[in-house]
Amino acid sequence: MKKIFMLFVLLALLLSACGGAGTPQPSGSEAPETGGEEPAAGENVSIRVWTHQNDSFNAGYQALAEEYMSAHPEVEIVFETFDYDTYIQTLQTALPAKTEADILQMFGSWVCSYAEGGNLAEMPASVISLDDAKAQLLSAPIGGYICDSKLYGVPQEFNIEYGAVLLNTGIAEEVGATNYLDGWASWDEVIEDGKKMAVVQDGVMTRSGLNFTGSDGIATMFHSLYLQYGGQYLTDGVYTVNTPVGVQTLELMKRLVDEGLVDPLLYNDEENWVGDSFFAETSAMGLVGPWAIPEYSGDYAEVAAKTIYQPLPSVGSEPGFAAASGWGLTVSVNSKAQDTAWDFVKFVTLDTSNAVEFNLASGTLPALKENISGTNAEALIAEFPYFEPFLGILEYGQYEGQFPDRDFVWYEVTYPTVLSFLQSNATLEETLQTIESEVQGSFK
Amino acid sequence: MTVSSRNNKLGRTFSGRNAAEKRFLTGTISPLVLYLAFWTIFPLLWGIALAFFDYSPRQTGGFLGFGEGNPFVGLLHFQNMLNFTADAPLEVQQFHIGIKVTFLFAILVVPLNLLITLPLAFLIESVNEGVKGIFRTIFFLPVLAPSVGVAIMWGFIFHPQRGLLNALIGAFSGKLVGIAWLRDSSLTVWGIPVALFAIIVAYLWQDMGYNLVIFIAALQGIPQSIKDAARIDGANWWQLFARIIVPLLMPTILLAAILTLISAFQVFDIVQVMTDGGPDDQTQVLLLNIYRYAFRYQKMGWAAAVSIVMFLLVLSISIVQTRFLRSEWEY
Repeated sequence: MKKIFMLFVLLALLLSACGGAGTPQPSGSEAPETGGEEPAAGENVSIRVWTHQNDSFNAGYQALAEEYMSAHPEVEIVFETFDYDTYIQTLQTALPAKTEADILQMFGSWVCSYAEGGNLAEMPASVISLDDAKAQLLSAPIGGYICDSKLYGVPQEFNIEYGAVLLNTGIAEEVGATNYLDGWASWDEVIEDGKKMAVVQDGVMTRSGLNFTGSDGIATMFHSLYLQYGGQYLTDGVYTVNTPVGVQTLELMKRLVDEGLVDPLLYNDEENWVGDSFFAETSAMGLVGPWAIPEYSGDYAEVAAKTIYQPLPSVGSEPGFAAASGWGLTVSVNSKAQDTAWDFVKFVTLDTSNAVEFNLASGTLPALKENISGTNAEALIAEFPYFEPFLGILEYGQYEGQFPDRDFVWYEVTYPTVLSFLQSNATLEETLQTIESEVQGSFK
Repeated sequence: MTVSSRNNKLGRTFSGRNAAEKRFLTGTISPLVLYLAFWTIFPLLWGIALAFFDYSPRQTGGFLGFGEGNPFVGLLHFQNMLNFTADAPLEVQQFHIGIKVTFLFAILVVPLNLLITLPLAFLIESVNEGVKGIFRTIFFLPVLAPSVGVAIMWGFIFHPQRGLLNALIGAFSGKLVGIAWLRDSSLTVWGIPVALFAIIVAYLWQDMGYNLVIFIAALQGIPQSIKDAARIDGANWWQLFARIIVPLLMPTILLAAILTLISAFQVFDIVQVMTDGGPDDQTQVLLLNIYRYAFRYQKMGWAAAVSIVMFLLVLSISIVQTRFLRSEWEY
């Protein structure tokens, strides 16, 4: 009896060890066995694609999959979607357990950590070589997919958080802020407009002139201005910001606070977050990416109608900025149908008309150089007029860099440290020293 | 207990029983054993093992994810915890902050909780039976509220521009008030961050119902004759409370204090929602620190090592609890 009893315990342990740590089931379909079947010529093959749940993204994928399947009747593309948080957890549990799909949608800044862990297949040169990929795709989005000079996937969109700000034209008109009408030539003009639009009552800021003190705003602005001032914060795995360029960068950010454009105690990630605050009209301008307009326009149609994206001036000769790559497609190293999987990835991402079809469906900026001008760009502007100021600067974007953990650098180090400086709780020197040592420490 | 005596106990469970009884016992015990093995023992052992590896789910390892990309590092995580130099990695510095904040939180919460709940229980016990139940229900209701909801509500109360607290102060001062109770790291009282006090207020509001119920039950257990005797001897309300009731409630007070201390060590959701550890890590308790490194930054090996330290801390308190409560009290 004792033996039977122990057998149960052992069985339980073995089952739990092999169970893939309770990988959540996706919505979309019954999950078949790992990977697809290695297809012989003409044999039917099923390709599973994992994506995060986003209606417009999924509509874009579905339309392209149907086109692909009609051209390749032997291939079946099956989408399985997860809500964002579940997707991250699912990737983390499914990849070690080797139960993932053939094609995995990834955000660019995640790719290298999974590729270095041996989970992703390297792009075959027959699909596209690294040099050709660099030539065809914009530098910032493709940067996230290149790890140790190897390509692990293709981006479909350009994720941008810097370069232009949301501006409430109603408020600007009401207070007589007019510099933006001809485009800001310098930060002095931005400050002049921002000061007019800010409202302070009894010493309490009730409307921010320019809300840039959210976590993405602070971290991206800090690194973008650093590039514009002529610095390079990350070179060969060495992170350096404690330099005269770093001083210039923080001085400009602090000036925006000191001139009364924003009170960082009242406007930050936790209180008056930039998107909420802008559309609630407690911020007249806000530094946030172009995804904010479709996100909020449903609930705040009146504000959205008087909202424009206004390009920011550059402190350097070019409007350079740091960007976090973008969503794209990768192929699992465990896929048994890698050739077919890569062929579908190529079809979706590298064909210019298919790529722009996805951008139009998903409301995203293009990752392909060819699509930032010409008829495809015109089609995007016709559908999303607020894309116009961004399309002109995408080519100046630089991938924010291969950090061991980008979120750690952005949200655990840069944001709280710079925010604390802007709140006058730390000196400029302390701030640069802390950011540099803590980010560099994360490389160990 | 020796191994042989444990085996004897297991043997006694099955020996002397007929086949049907043994089948019944196996059938009833097995699900529990399987449940424990699946959901408690295996995750516990796995969690302990993680602490000795530089484990990240993003890396590919060998069996159960250990080895290869997730190498064995022995006691390195624990050694790093003892690095008190200024250039210690951020996770080590935040671990030290987490320990300090957690102790500070627990040390403040326990006396404040007892100072509120004990007199309150005495007062509720003193009112007539008709309204006693109403008071008990009202004070216990916050316990039933989800912590996230409580945190959102108190976050609204402390909001710098739209918060009730600033609105109240503004109503008295006659001007707009915009104090950032949860975000301003320069706000301190006796060196303790105001943001931590704000969390303590929210935590006490939700948590005090437990101790209140425990004290009311204990008060009901004190014989009326003792109170009557004190009154006949001329004791007033305060003397009755301080010299009779409190000494008689000492075992209950001790129990409530230790339970509150353990619960305070495990505070997480209220902190995460109200401040997310800010401002400047002033409210970053240990459990939030573990959560961040395990699930946000994928440093599960480090997070597991911190979890073990936290487990040992709570275990020590539990041992102290059992030692103290072993004494026999009578009245």
